[in-house]
Amino acid sequence: MLLGPSLALSAILFSLGVAGVLLRRNAIVLFMCIELMLNAVNLTFVALSRLYGAGGYVMVFFVMTVAAAEAAVGLAIILAIFRHEQSVDLENINLLRG
Amino acid sequence: MNLDTHTPIGAALALLPELVLTAWSLVVLLVVAWRHTTERDSQLAGWLSFVGVALSGVALWWLWSHDARSDGVPHMIALDEFRYASAALILGITGATTLLSIRYLTRQRLLAPEYHCLVLFAAVGMLLMAAASDLIMVFLGLEVMSVSVYVLAGFDRFRRSSAEAALKYFLIGAFASGFLLYGIALIWGATGQTNLTLIAAQLTGAPTTLLLRLGLGMLLIGFAFKVSAVPFHMWAPDVYDGSPTPITGFMATGVKAAAFVALVRVLNEGFPSAKELWQPIIGALAVATILFGNIVALAQDSLKRMLAYSSVAHAGYILVAVWAGTPFGSGAVLFYLASYCMATIGSFGMVAAVEHVGSRTVLIDDLEGLFEKRPWGSLSLAICLLSLLGFPATFGFVGKWYLIASALREGHWILPVATVIGSAISAGYYLPVVTAMTFKPERSVDAHRQVAFSRASKAIVAAVVGATILFGIWPTPVLDGALASARSLTNLVSGMAER
Repeated sequence: MLLGPSLALSAILFSLGVAGVLLRRNAIVLFMCIELMLNAVNLTFVALSRLYGAGGYVMVFFVMTVAAAEAAVGLAIILAIFRHEQSVDLENINLLRG
Repeated sequence: MNLDTHTPIGAALALLPELVLTAWSLVVLLVVAWRHTTERDSQLAGWLSFVGVALSGVALWWLWSHDARSDGVPHMIALDEFRYASAALILGITGATTLLSIRYLTRQRLLAPEYHCLVLFAAVGMLLMAAASDLIMVFLGLEVMSVSVYVLAGFDRFRRSSAEAALKYFLIGAFASGFLLYGIALIWGATGQTNLTLIAAQLTGAPTTLLLRLGLGMLLIGFAFKVSAVPFHMWAPDVYDGSPTPITGFMATGVKAAAFVALVRVLNEGFPSAKELWQPIIGALAVATILFGNIVALAQDSLKRMLAYSSVAHAGYILVAVWAGTPFGSGAVLFYLASYCMATIGSFGMVAAVEHVGSRTVLIDDLEGLFEKRPWGSLSLAICLLSLLGFPATFGFVGKWYLIASALREGHWILPVATVIGSAISAGYYLPVVTAMTFKPERSVDAHRQVAFSRASKAIVAAVVGATILFGIWPTPVLDGALASARSLTNLVSGMAER
């Protein structure tokens, strides 16, 4: 059983994703970091399925579907921004300022 | 009537309002695939989706009037009055948004009827969130709602502020869903369950583990982003300011109501025994949100931005009743959501009507002298703002009274005091709008020539203003309904605990 190491790895991946979202400035890279967070959660689900049965695998499929839908919409939005600014850098759009 | 949600027929009946709305929105999508060029087509799509909302309302009424209950432990979908009452509120918000949008879209030359389909899809997500009795369902409902609203926020894509709003909302929203999902995974790891009732049964008397604490914390961060509680509110002002005005109203009411209803259900149905874990977090969020939201709202000169900060502050008020974690508190949440949503829909309906074609936003100064040209419209906006302020004899006052009472009943005084201080501060930004409309002269002769009300938006604004005054004077029927539906939420949990 690799339960402990798997959970630790997914926690590290999730933290990397969060750090990326907070520190990077490129919309595409931010989006990749969010996908990293979602896939870290998928790893948690798969690892825990050894304990609690197949429910986790089903959940992974749900998450993958949702992530695909988000990717479709997100890339379209990033494209719309690119048409206005000719760049996807977030220098002009401060995400953390109210 | 008892429904066994493990059988296909039972599950279909339990999901009837959602299914009707989904099927109807697909029909609307098909219709607009062939008719999407002229103004008439856009209006047709709007009225068609309103019919869909009404049909879904009929399905909801059928379930409610037959007193549909779940056979045993609810599976994925809850069947109780709390769901029915919140679904009725969400359908009302969706119908009002659709009607307010029809004229707005033709005025702003946003002739893409898919808009109305997206509003319906978002409404399906909200209904699922309100009905979710399983954490998986909460996540899926949240995503169905959010993905549609991301698109709607950026619907005016030729305007830079709208595209920016969509990008900001999308990135922050997806970030928040990541937290929510990790919370669900960790809670599943701690309890082995995702069903709320089974989680509660598992946690009764069990020691709290680190995994559970982390999971609950992540879940609360996810929800705090969605309800825009300080310090997770930073997306709200820019997004509310940049989105098309009816969508801003939809986000401030529908999205917020669905998130709060789901939060109340998750905390009261799933984690009643972990109350000492979540109460301090919710309390701290509430105080920070009330004070910060109200103080920053004072400094705004854009009306949409001011309303955005005011909706942040209102999230703080509602968190006070969530904090209580009692049936009375859940009833107060529902009751206050009804009053808040009515006043907010009315305000944004007015803002949409006075907004200049193609302008970046609506400033408070833009309203100067409106009373002379549009006395009834300005009066309606004034009444909505007074209700948000919590002025006596309006719905908002009664709502706020019960929020405060729910915390006082638990013997707590910091949160009620914060609510009262926050409301006092909020007079400093609601009243200047009223004085600008009434006492200041028009800035130019034709400043308000562009103000345009369709009959539909007149009807919506009149209805919410009428209800705001009526329920301000005679709140008993709504209050009784809200409290009764909140009791249905906790009967289940105490029933489980006794077993």
